[in-house]
Amino acid sequence: MLKLFKMWLKAGQLTTSELQPDMGTATLELEKLNQLTRADRKALGRSLLIRHLDVGSNNAEEAELVALSSPYYDISRFGIDFTASPRHADVLAVTGPVTRQLKIAMERTYTAAPKPCLIVAIGDGACYGKPYGKSYACLGPVDQFLPVDVYIPGDPPSPAEILSGLLACKKLLGQEHLVPGTGAR
Amino acid sequence: MSHPTQQDLDQLLAHVERYFEKPLLNAELRLPNHVVLEVEPGEFTEGVIKIYADAWLNARYLTLLAVDEQSHFSLHLLFLLKSHKVALSIRTKLERTNPVYLALSPSIPAAEWHEREIHDLFGIVPEGGDLRPLVLHRDWPRGEHYPMRRDFNEALTPMIQEVPHQFDMPEGAGRHQVAVGPIHAGIIEPGHLRFSVTGEHIHRFDAQLFYTHKGIEKMSEGQPYLDVLTLAEHVCGMCAFAHSLAFTQAIETLAETEIPKRAVVFRAILLEMERLASHFSDLSAICSAGGFAFASARAAYFRELILQMNQQLSGHRFLRGINTVGGLLKEPSGESLTQALKNLAELGRQFSEWRELVLNTDSFLDRVESSGYLSQETARQLGLVGPAARGSGRDDDMRRDFPYQVHTQLPVQVKVSEQGDVFSRMMVRIEEVEESISQVSRLIATLPGGVSFKPIPEQKLVPDKAVIGIVESAKGSLIHWVMLGEKQQVYRWHVRSAPYMNWRGVVHATMGQNIVPDAPLVNKSFNLCYACADR
Repeated sequence: MLKLFKMWLKAGQLTTSELQPDMGTATLELEKLNQLTRADRKALGRSLLIRHLDVGSNNAEEAELVALSSPYYDISRFGIDFTASPRHADVLAVTGPVTRQLKIAMERTYTAAPKPCLIVAIGDGACYGKPYGKSYACLGPVDQFLPVDVYIPGDPPSPAEILSGLLACKKLLGQEHLVPGTGAR
Repeated sequence: MSHPTQQDLDQLLAHVERYFEKPLLNAELRLPNHVVLEVEPGEFTEGVIKIYADAWLNARYLTLLAVDEQSHFSLHLLFLLKSHKVALSIRTKLERTNPVYLALSPSIPAAEWHEREIHDLFGIVPEGGDLRPLVLHRDWPRGEHYPMRRDFNEALTPMIQEVPHQFDMPEGAGRHQVAVGPIHAGIIEPGHLRFSVTGEHIHRFDAQLFYTHKGIEKMSEGQPYLDVLTLAEHVCGMCAFAHSLAFTQAIETLAETEIPKRAVVFRAILLEMERLASHFSDLSAICSAGGFAFASARAAYFRELILQMNQQLSGHRFLRGINTVGGLLKEPSGESLTQALKNLAELGRQFSEWRELVLNTDSFLDRVESSGYLSQETARQLGLVGPAARGSGRDDDMRRDFPYQVHTQLPVQVKVSEQGDVFSRMMVRIEEVEESISQVSRLIATLPGGVSFKPIPEQKLVPDKAVIGIVESAKGSLIHWVMLGEKQQVYRWHVRSAPYMNWRGVVHATMGQNIVPDAPLVNKSFNLCYACADR
């Protein structure tokens, strides 16, 4: 036990302070959180619960989402967290092109999520169906089936890019007259 | 490390020939290490089973695949003969109307999933085998639409319907079923797991996979081979480089070309970097499932460091877009290599502290020891590969057993652990991490000069000649089988990933003397990619 505490203390802070997620308006340096505009601060003040939904991904986007919860990125310091059930979700983070055998599960998950619920397509597979195209088992990008609000393209997008997209979700949810499903890039 | 000589291969062929009564229809020795036989359909199964049972040959089942060659189907079985460090392909022709062969799975259980997959996708019947659907779920109508046949009309793809899966679960007083998935609670890929339990005790466990089945092999048909390389990199994110490597090595074998030594060493470095990332991710997951948050977070941090080194070395965190047919598209910069050398030394030091901590925390060891037991015999029968097999005492590693191309640069000490439990599979990974760090450091320090790309002679990419690429990925052996058609387009591409073989290991290990809370731990001790298996 003493050994554990010793390692614990020795490890110190592993979380990066160099991340520069793009807030859409201005680049935000985490070190300078006190210099935020009122609007940014208001948007950041809300919590955001994400339900991850894999509809046919290749495991790269999943790996980056897992990385976001690692001590290096520590996504929970932005008030963002992953939830086990779609019933608690503000956001469905969808990865991969939609496969035939996941279509029903995808629709059910969407139905289970309380509205308004933002849909974020993460990665080139979810955004454009790339590089797979279509086949007897692969149906295409997510926005052919669900109303996508935020697109985070990339192969896969880096954790910083995903974080930027999620912060954009916070801004969207902060808007007074939000109509989910109208789309934002 | 020497390849088998022509004499060895002739001797091998003479030995194998005895198992077939009728003369072989064709026998080809492809130097340095691939023997291809064609046999009569009637003798296929019997001969294959005899070869598999031959202790001297010491055969390992690799894969079974079908090809629609328009006029007929062909069935190809691949073994690795450990005695000779040679790959053996046995093929046979099946007629288009009523394609049937005698099932292999009663004698070679490892072939069961492949038989079911071929039945689903081609409509080729393994007589006496298991005909339950596997890759295509139950809503796909049987008996008319076979998507991997060349004449399949995509416009006639049947409607999606909701048809529940059927699980063979015992019923009775006090027993109930726990259903998990396909959408899981954590950030993992989709699959449906079903437990039959009494209280906490698991009686039976089964998994319905292939939810992320995208038909990638079908997508490759008629595509230029370099486009299929992109598809290969996108079979799985965790094993992207291993897939890329297996594919390029297959094409390079077909072109009969020597790749510059510098490129081979770089590839070896990147392959081991991918192994490190994957193993750290596995170790993090095992600690997390075992309730050891600090160790899990540290391992996740190690993984992040590796991914950042990958970014520096290759420009991509998952090593996509650096490997190509003929070598590397770009070289890692000298600066990134020096940095990696320095970082790995520091990482190695931190990792030994981590190891010390984990192996001295009794509450954690109590969880992992004796959970998820898988016997060596079961591992053998199911044809398990990689750390899962080595954790059950199976001394198999392609880096040693198939010393070809990139593997020649990786003379590893194969780590084997006998107990067959979660602890054992974890120990294999811990030791492999140390081995990989030392391999990468050694390779960077002894990097040869020269170029790292040489174009292949494209005129040698002839049609109808099947080639294979074998790579020991982080999860185990990975096989890409490629046959080109006209204009250097891919005619048939088959991927046999390590998770495809190991999933049945998870099922068996979970069913032992385990309780429900141990199921995630057992699962994480294999930590298989669904995307790799589903394709």
